[in-house]
Amino acid sequence: MSAYVVTIATLMVVQAIAVCGLNVIVGYAGQISLGHAAFFGIGAYSTAVLTTKLGISFWTALPLVIGISALIGLLLGLPSLRVREDFLAITTIGINFIVEAVFRYVPFFGGALGIGGIPRVMFFGVRLKGIPFFLLCLGFLVLVLLICWWLTRSWASLACYAIREEEAAASTMGISPVRFKLLAFVIGTAMAGLGGSLYAHYMQFISAGDFSFPISVGFLAMLVLGGMGTLWGPVVGTLILGILPELFRPLVDYRIFFYTLLLLLMIRFQPGGLLGENSFARKIITPLLKGLRK
Amino acid sequence: MIQPLLSAKGVSKYFGGLRAVDGVSFEVFPGEILGILGPNGAGKTVLFNLISGIYEPTSGEIWFSGERIDGIPPHAIAKKGIGRTFQIVKPFASLTVLQNVLVARGITRYSHLTKVWGSWNSKGEIEKASEVLEKVGLSDLAERKAGLLPLGNLRRLEIARALVVGHSVLLLDESFSGLRHDEISRLEDLIRSIRKDGLTVILIEHNMRVSMGLCDRIIVLDHGQKIAEGRPTEIQQDKSVIEAYLGGKGTTHAT
Ligand SMILES: Nc1ncnc2c1ncn2[C@@H]1O[C@H](COP(=O)(O)OP(=O)(O)OP(=O)(O)O)[C@@H](O)[C@H]1O
Ligand SMILES: [Mg+2]
Repeated sequence: MSAYVVTIATLMVVQAIAVCGLNVIVGYAGQISLGHAAFFGIGAYSTAVLTTKLGISFWTALPLVIGISALIGLLLGLPSLRVREDFLAITTIGINFIVEAVFRYVPFFGGALGIGGIPRVMFFGVRLKGIPFFLLCLGFLVLVLLICWWLTRSWASLACYAIREEEAAASTMGISPVRFKLLAFVIGTAMAGLGGSLYAHYMQFISAGDFSFPISVGFLAMLVLGGMGTLWGPVVGTLILGILPELFRPLVDYRIFFYTLLLLLMIRFQPGGLLGENSFARKIITPLLKGLRK
Repeated sequence: MIQPLLSAKGVSKYFGGLRAVDGVSFEVFPGEILGILGPNGAGKTVLFNLISGIYEPTSGEIWFSGERIDGIPPHAIAKKGIGRTFQIVKPFASLTVLQNVLVARGITRYSHLTKVWGSWNSKGEIEKASEVLEKVGLSDLAERKAGLLPLGNLRRLEIARALVVGHSVLLLDESFSGLRHDEISRLEDLIRSIRKDGLTVILIEHNMRVSMGLCDRIIVLDHGQKIAEGRPTEIQQDKSVIEAYLGGKGTTHAT
């Protein structure tokens, strides 16, 4: 594999981890978030600060990083998730801009220069880069997918589905909407934090712009394209939207426009995403698979 | 003297200037079937929303088994064993019929931070949920997406979920409307058997034949106020009730 391919593949896997987290919030619990990149950034900046300023390793920092992301998710989610659903989109956009501004203007976070010199991940004395680091990220993605799968069979996710479908009815069945929305939000932001941490150690240099609002729109576009609430949707969506811009290099500058357009089109014509039930992709693929089995 | 299981004391709910429920008091005794009648817009559904905690009363108190419950959130009221159906059905549309019932069965777990991580997809749970579906006659449709069911079946699904939650009181909001004749008598039988199990039922019902046949006692609301209370036969002959149903707006009512 060329270095170029490894770079693209690693970044896609890292993003897929964050999109899996977004799926728990948006897909499972039905709470729209347009500020997911903020939590991706919180994970990246936490690990950057911990490893460069305190000199601790990626592995020691990791539980702290996930904890910090989840805690900030809890603190920001608590007031946000109490507002009406249509305000939540606005509130989460606001969170994204505020968090980005904090990174950009607070000297502690390196200001406009960002933070550089983030160490590579050590694994049994080996400095991971290239394919080995890609495999590490892939391992984390598998872990996140396993957690997501395990979540779907839990009462907690059943409660989240019920809130997503009919909040009033769910509440008359003993489900506290605020508690379970918050739970989904915290799990989702923790996964974003994990993705952000891997991103920081891969790039070794991060700045506020890496976690701006367009990145959040991109995450949401990946999720909606792949299929909200499905297990593999985040992976499929991230793969497609990760590869497409590479094929159409000149379009990179118009990415945000493309993402937004895609989001609107998907929500209008295929709200379930490519892996959703009754999607056109499924209608094409299922008979093909059946044909193959014969 | 028997203590009432559930009671409303001067309960009101105003929406701006609209008095949807206006100083209503009533009591329900254990094992009783209480009917609530009243013309469209009388405040019946709002009263249910007050009891189940969806709305907080503007004034007045609601008591359940010796405890004040107004102002408590819906999920906490549900945990006390008060189940309800919605007049405008609210299925969890993309879940299966079985999963809809499972959501209700989770009620004992949702407030335990450890129990929520257990699996709903176990043989025991599915069996118990299937028993409830059997009771309301939805067994054949267990694996169907709830959103695809016709209204009659959705009403039964509402009842199935309410049955799981309401091990003490059941609030049924026009559960009979939209059902066929045979379905109606089936549901009547079900409600009678539920009562035999010791449950207390409050039902809102426009169908006179049904409410007269099922209810021990009936209260009548009009413009948010209670205008009559009594046994079905008494209600049938009550002048203010006949007036409320037949007379148009502008009539004054005795309270
Ligand atoms: N959330 C709300 N905001 C404002 N007004 C409301 C609200 N809910 C109900 N109302 C009003 O309160 C009044 C009572 O409504 P309610 O739904 O209780 O009537 P009902 O007796 O159940 O009638 P029906 O037999 O048609 O179901 C109506 O005038 C209704 O428009
Ligand atoms: Mg009503």
